[in-house]
Amino acid sequence: MEHIELFFKSIFIDNMVFATFLGMCSYLAVSKKVSTAVGLGAAVIFVLAITVPLNWLLDQYILQPGALAWLGEEFVAYDLSFLSFIMFIATIATMVQLVEIVVEKFSPALYNSLGIFLPLIAVNCAILGGSLFMQSREIPTLGLALNYGVASGIGWFLAILAIAAIREKIRYSNVPPALRGLGITFIITGLMAIGFMSFGGMLTGGDDEGKTETTTEMVEEPVDNKALDTKEITEKELANNTKVEE
Amino acid sequence: MSNKTDSNVYTILFAIGMVILVGSLLAFAASSLEPAISENKRLEKQQNILYAMGVNDNEEGSAVFISTDKAPQAFAEYITKQVVIQNGQVTEDDEAYLIDVKKEKSSAKGDASKRRLPLFIGEKDGKTYYVAPIYGKGLWDAIWGYVSMDENMVIQGAYFDHKGETPGLGANIKQRYFMDDFIGEHLLDESGDFKGVTVAKGNADPLNNDKIDNEVDAIAGATITGDGVTAMIKSDLKLYVPYFKNLKNN
Amino acid sequence: MGLLSKKDTKLISDPLADNNPITIQVLGICSALAITAELEASIVMSVSVLFVLGVGNVVISLMRNIIPSKIRIIVQLVVVATLVIIVDLVLKAFAYELSKTLSVFVGLIITNCIIMGRFEAFALGNGPWRSFLDGIGNAAGYGVILIIVGFFRELLGSGTLLGMKVLGDPIEKSGLYAIGYENNGFMLLSPMALIVVGIIIWVQRNKNKALIED
Repeated sequence: MEHIELFFKSIFIDNMVFATFLGMCSYLAVSKKVSTAVGLGAAVIFVLAITVPLNWLLDQYILQPGALAWLGEEFVAYDLSFLSFIMFIATIATMVQLVEIVVEKFSPALYNSLGIFLPLIAVNCAILGGSLFMQSREIPTLGLALNYGVASGIGWFLAILAIAAIREKIRYSNVPPALRGLGITFIITGLMAIGFMSFGGMLTGGDDEGKTETTTEMVEEPVDNKALDTKEITEKELANNTKVEE
Repeated sequence: MSNKTDSNVYTILFAIGMVILVGSLLAFAASSLEPAISENKRLEKQQNILYAMGVNDNEEGSAVFISTDKAPQAFAEYITKQVVIQNGQVTEDDEAYLIDVKKEKSSAKGDASKRRLPLFIGEKDGKTYYVAPIYGKGLWDAIWGYVSMDENMVIQGAYFDHKGETPGLGANIKQRYFMDDFIGEHLLDESGDFKGVTVAKGNADPLNNDKIDNEVDAIAGATITGDGVTAMIKSDLKLYVPYFKNLKNN
Repeated sequence: MGLLSKKDTKLISDPLADNNPITIQVLGICSALAITAELEASIVMSVSVLFVLGVGNVVISLMRNIIPSKIRIIVQLVVVATLVIIVDLVLKAFAYELSKTLSVFVGLIITNCIIMGRFEAFALGNGPWRSFLDGIGNAAGYGVILIIVGFFRELLGSGTLLGMKVLGDPIEKSGLYAIGYENNGFMLLSPMALIVVGIIIWVQRNKNKALIED
C-alpha cells in the first residue's frame, strides 16, 4: 500500500516537472521531437532508478549523523552530512558518464541527437533533486527509495512525452512568428503545469494526522478543479492522438 | 586534448588526486569552522526561543531578533527553568534547549514515549510562558519553530523557520504577519481536547479576529508549506498536553 | 587597446540580449522558476550565480589542459560543488544571518545548468580571462531575466517591490486598492513564471526578427 501510494504520488502529484519544476532545461530543449524525448526520458528514468537507491545507501551508511556506527563504536559521533551534496553529485556524474559511454556505443544516432544534453543530465536538477528529496523526506527503506526513483523518472518521462507530442502538432498551428519554438513551449508548459495542479486535490498530506484535515479543506474548490481536469484531459488526449498517428 | 590526458592511468591518478585534494579541503574547512558554526546555531536557538516569548527587537512589520551579544544574558534572565519530559517523567535540564528535535523525532520512530521533549519555562512581566519546539516538513525541506503558550495552551507567540521553502511563498512563514496571526489562538477546543491550529485557506477570517476557531489564514500559493505547519503543530504540541493537564490539576 | 578588446566586450554584451542564457540557450530555467516570486530573492540569486560562474569559469579554464576528458563532467561538478560548499561553510561561521538568506540557493546553484553549460561550452576551450568575461556576461544575462520576471511577479502578485507596498495596502484599501484593484495571486504560482518568460521571449524576438525559429 505504501509502495502504491508513493508510486502514484511521485508520478502525478509531485511530478518533477509540473509540481517542483525540476529538470526544466533539458525538458524544454530536447522536446522538439517525440523520438528524442523518449530517449532522454528513458535515460532519466534509468539514471534516477540507479542514483536514488545508491544515494540512499550512501546517506544511511556514511553521511547521516551516526551513520558510521556499523564501523564500530568510536565512529558514532561523526557527522559527514556536509559532504552530502558532493557525494550525491559525484555518484550522479559517475552514472551519467557511464550512461553516456553505453549510449555512444550502442546507439550513435541517439547520442548525436542528444548532443550536449546527455552530459547535462548530470546537472539536470531532476536527478540531484530526486536524491535530495529522498534525503529530506527521510524515505525509510531501500525498496521505497528505488520506487521513488523510478516513479519520479516516469513522471518526468510522461511530462516530456506530452510536451513533445504537443510541439509536433503545434507546427501546424498558426502561432505568432516571434512565439514559435521556445516561446510557445514555455507558455504551453505553464498551462500544463496549471492543469497538473489539479492532481494536488488528490493529495492526502504526508502526515497521517493531517489526512482528515486536508480532505475537508479540499472540498471547498470543486469547481476550480473540474475546469482544470477537463483541460488536462484534452491535453492528454492530444498527446495520445499524436502517438497513435505515428 | 593530448594523448597524455586520455590514458587510463592518468585518468585514475587524476581522479585520486582530485578526491584527496577536495576531500581534505572540505574536511579541513568543515572541522575548523565547526566551533564557530555550532556557536552561531546555539545563539540562534536562544534567539528563537526568546522571540517566541515576545523578547525581541521587532520593528514595525518585520521580525527582528534580540542581538546575538545580548541573547545569552537575556536567555538567562527570562528563561527560569528548562525541563525535559520523557514518558511522563519531568526532569530539569539546563541544556534542554540544545536537544535536537529532528534527531529525537527520527530516533523515536513514531513512538512518542521514547522522545525527550524539551520545554522552556520563562517569565516576562509577571506572566509565565511555556515554550516548546516543533519540527516538520514543508514543500521542499524541513520546517521548524518554537511556540510559546500559557498554562491553558493559548498561544502567546510563535516563531517559524525553514530550510528551503520557496521565496515569496512558503518562505513567508517566517514573516511577522504570518507568525503574529498565531498569537491568542487556542490549541484546545471548547471541551478542552487538543485540536491544534490549522493553517486554513478561505476561512473567511483574513484579519484573524476570531481567536477560538483554531484556524489562522493561510499564505496564498503556499498550501503545502501551510499544511506542514498545521501538521507539525498538531503532532508535536499534542505531546505536551499531559504536562499541561498535570499543571492544572496541581 | 584597452583592457577589453572588441571581441572581449562582445563576450559580455552578447549574453545580455541576443544570446541570452535563459531565452535563447535555454539554460538555468529551474532556478528562474523557483525563486522569482520575490524581487529580492531574484537579485540575491543573480549575484550568487555571478560569483560562482565567474570564479568557476576561471578555475575550469586554468585546469582545462590537465582534466582527463573521460571524467570531465565529474571534475566540473566537483569544482562547483566544492566552491559552493566552502562559501556556504564560511558564511555560516562568519556571517550567519547572510548564510540563512542564501542557504536556500546553495542547492540550486550547484545544479544550475547555466554553470555546467558554460564550463562545457566555453571554459574548457578558452583562456582564464576570456572565460571570466564569458562567465560574468552569461551570469548577467541570466540575472537580467530573473530580475524582470521577479519584478513583474512580485508587483502583480503581491503588490510589493522588495517588500515595500508600492500599490497601497490591500487590507486597508488604500492606494490602487481603493478603486477596486486586486492582487493577482496567480502570479505567485510557479506556472506563471513560465508564462512570463514566454512573454519575454515573445517581446525579445519581435524586436530582433533574426532570432525567430523555424
